[in-house]
Amino acid sequence: MNWKNVLRLLSVDRKSSRLIRGFRFRRFRENKVVTYALYIGALLLGLLIGWLIANFYSGISDTAFKEDFLQGASSLFTTLPTIALLYGLVFSQMGQMQRIGAKVSIQPLYWFPITWAEHTVASILANLIGWPLIISIFICSSISVASVPLGLVPLAAFTMFALLASLFLASVTTEVLKILQVRISGALTKAAGRAAIWVRLLGSIVFFVIFYLIYFSLYYNVSIPSLIGSIAGGQRILWFIPYLWLGIALSAFASGLMPEIVIFSLASLAFIYLLFLAAVRLNARFGLYEEPSIKISRGAYVPRAGLLGRLGFSFAEAAIMRKDFKAFTRRRELIYIFIMPIVFIIVPIFSSMRGTTGESVPFSFQSFLFVYLTVLPGALITIALGGFIIGSEGAGVWYIYSSPISAKSLVKAKYFFVTFFSFAITLVCFFVAVLLTLPSLEMIAVGLTEGILLVFSLAMVSLTFGIKGADFRELPRSRMIRPMWSFINGLVCLLLALAIVSPIIPYGLKILFDMALPESYLYMALPLSGVIALVVTYAFRRTALKNAEEFLLKAEI
Amino acid sequence: MTHLSGVKLTSVSKRYGDITAVDYIDLEVRRGEIFGLLGPNGSGKSTTLKMILGLVKPDSGSVNVLGINVEDDPVAVKRKVGYVPESPRVYEFLTGLEFLDFTGDVYGMQLEEKKKRIEEFLKALDLEGREGDMISSYSEGMKQKVVIISALMHKPELLLLDEPLSGLDPKSARIVKDLLRELASQGVTTIMSTHVLEIAQAMCDRIAIMYNGRMSALGTMKELRQKARMPDSGLEDIFLKLTGTGDIKPVVEALMK
Repeated sequence: MNWKNVLRLLSVDRKSSRLIRGFRFRRFRENKVVTYALYIGALLLGLLIGWLIANFYSGISDTAFKEDFLQGASSLFTTLPTIALLYGLVFSQMGQMQRIGAKVSIQPLYWFPITWAEHTVASILANLIGWPLIISIFICSSISVASVPLGLVPLAAFTMFALLASLFLASVTTEVLKILQVRISGALTKAAGRAAIWVRLLGSIVFFVIFYLIYFSLYYNVSIPSLIGSIAGGQRILWFIPYLWLGIALSAFASGLMPEIVIFSLASLAFIYLLFLAAVRLNARFGLYEEPSIKISRGAYVPRAGLLGRLGFSFAEAAIMRKDFKAFTRRRELIYIFIMPIVFIIVPIFSSMRGTTGESVPFSFQSFLFVYLTVLPGALITIALGGFIIGSEGAGVWYIYSSPISAKSLVKAKYFFVTFFSFAITLVCFFVAVLLTLPSLEMIAVGLTEGILLVFSLAMVSLTFGIKGADFRELPRSRMIRPMWSFINGLVCLLLALAIVSPIIPYGLKILFDMALPESYLYMALPLSGVIALVVTYAFRRTALKNAEEFLLKAEI
Repeated sequence: MTHLSGVKLTSVSKRYGDITAVDYIDLEVRRGEIFGLLGPNGSGKSTTLKMILGLVKPDSGSVNVLGINVEDDPVAVKRKVGYVPESPRVYEFLTGLEFLDFTGDVYGMQLEEKKKRIEEFLKALDLEGREGDMISSYSEGMKQKVVIISALMHKPELLLLDEPLSGLDPKSARIVKDLLRELASQGVTTIMSTHVLEIAQAMCDRIAIMYNGRMSALGTMKELRQKARMPDSGLEDIFLKLTGTGDIKPVVEALMK
C-alpha cells in the first residue's frame, strides 16, 4: 500500500468540496485557516470543555460525589466507540446519499497506477471528512484534557484509539453498503426492464424511508444520558455483535479484565480488517460497474400537445415543466424531494406515539398537528424546490441558455412547476392530517387556505433567490444553490411566511389558549392574509424576471 | 449565395477579470457561407461564438445576427440559430427521443413537422433502435449526434458549431459535412470552430485564425497562404506560423530528453 497515493486521493476529494464551496473558483487561493476553521474550532472547543470539566472535578469537595463523577466519566468513555460508530454511520451514509446521482466521481482515477486497496482506503477516509471528523476531534480533545485530573489518562488514550477505529469501521461499512447498493439497484434496473424508472423511484423512496425510520427511532426523543446509559448497559449483553466489540474491550479495560481486553481488541481489529478486505474485493469486482441502460419507450413516436398546452402554457413552457417532472422522478439525487413529506409525517407520528402513551391527545395538540401537516411540508418543499429548481439544470444549463426561451417563459415554467408540485404535496399531507386529527370545518378552511397561499407566494420568493444563487456544478455532488443564497432564501421566506400568516396568529392563540375573538374574525383575517401573499408574489415576480434576464445573459458554461 | 451579412461583429471585446478573452475584433460572415474559426486553446473562439448567440454580453462593440442586434432581442436570434457547444452535456435522464421532442417544443415546431424531422434525423445518423433509451447510457458519439440533431431539426438560418464532428463515426461525420454544404447552398450560414484543420480546409469558404483574443488572419485558403507567404503549404503549417507556434522542433526535442 502506497500511503502517498492514499493521501493524494484524499486531498483531491477534499479539494473537490472546496471548489464547490468557493464562488471565486477562478484563480482560487486556498486560505488554510478558513479551510480548517471547523476542525480548529472543534479542537479549541474540545480543549475548553475538557478544561472546564477538569476544573469542575478539581473543585468538588464531596468525596462521594467525586467518586460518582469519576464512575460516570469512566462509563461515558466506554460508550464513546459505539456512539462514534452510530454518528459515523449516519454521516457517512448521508454523504453517500448526496453523491448518489453523480455519474462520475472525482476519486476513482482508475487508469492511474493506483491499487484497489489504496482507492478503497482513500474512499473510506474521505467518507469521514467533515462532521464525523469534527465531532471526533471535539470528543478526543475534551477527554484528553479532562482525563488528567480524573486520573483516567490510560483509559482516555484507549478510548481515543477505539473511537477512531469505530469511525473507520463505520466508514468501511458504508463503503461496502455503497457498492452493494449500486450493484443491487443495477441488477433490479436490468430485471425491471421498462418499469425500471418506477422500480428505481419506489426503491429509492423505500430505502430513504427505512434509513430515516432507523435514524428517528435511534435519536428522536432520546436524551443523551439515556442513550449513553442504554449503550453502557446493552453492549455487554449484545457481545455477539462485532460492531460492539470495541466498546466491550474498552469497558473491560476500565474494569481491568485483561483476557477480555485482548480477545475483544484483537477480534475487533480482525473484523475491521476482514470488512476492509471485503470492501476492496467488492470495489475490484464492481467498482467499474456501469448500470445497465434504461429503455423507456419502444413504440412509435407520437407527439402530443398535452394537458399543459390546454392550460395555456406555450410549447416551450410546457416542455420545460415536463422535463423537470421527469428529472424529479428519474434523477436519484432529486428523488429525495419525495422523502421530505414522508419524513414530516413520520416525525409527529413518532412524537405522538412516544409522548402521549396512555393519555388522551389534547385538542390543542391535534389542532397543532393538523396545521403542522397541512402548512409546513408544502411550504418547506416550496422553499427548497424554488431554491434549487434552476441549479438542478446542472451542466445541461447550456441548453436553456442557447434556446429561444425568454426570461418570462423561464420564470413562468419554473414557478408553476414548483407550485404544482408543492400543491400536490400539500394536498396529500392535508388528507393525512384530516385522517389523523379529524379537524373542524373551520380549521380545514384556515389550514388549507394558508397552506395554498404560502405555496403560491413562497414559490416566487424562493425562485427569485434560486435564479440569483444557482450553482450548476455537479461534482462531487449537485449543489444547485450556493450556500449563502440558500441561507438568504430560507431567512427571507421565513420572515415573509410569518407576515402572510400573521393575520391568522390570533386565531391560533384562540385555539391554543381559548382566547376570545369576534365571530367574523376569520372573514377579515383570511382575505388579509391573501392580500399580503399577493403583494409578496407580485413584488418578487418583478425581481425574479430581472434576475432571469440577467441569468440568461451571463452564461456560466 | 447571397452576399448579405449573416453575422457582423463590430469592435467587440470581452474580459474576464484580468484575462482578455476577445480583444476588439471586427468580423463579417456572409449569408450561406461556411466560416471556420480556428485558434489555439484559450484564443477566444468559444467566447466569440457565445457572444454571437447572446450567451455572453460583450464589454464593448455590437453583434448583429441575421439583421438583429443580439443585445436588443437575444431570443429572436436564438430562435434562428442552431448551436452545438464544445463537449455538450445533455439531460441524461431523458431518452434521445424525449430530448429531441423537448427541443422541438422549445423551438415552437408544429407536431407533424417535429415528428417528421426527428424520424429523418434518427434514421440518417443511425440512432434508430436506441432513441427510447436514457441518454445516460449513450456513448459520447451518440450524445454528440443527439446534440447535432437538436441544432439542425428546427431548420435554423445560422449554425454555430463548436467542434461539431468530435466523437462522430466516419459515416455520420460525412453525412453532417455533406448536410452542412447542402444547407449552405440553401443560404444557411455556418460558423464552425474546430481544431481539425483538415476539416476546416476542406469545408470552409473562409477561415479566421484567432490568437490571444485577436484575429491574426482572415480569408480564403489562398489569401491565408499569401499572408503567411507559404504558397504551397497546407493549413496546419500556415496556422502554426500565424499563431507564432511554428517552431515545434525544439519543443519535441526537449520532451524527448
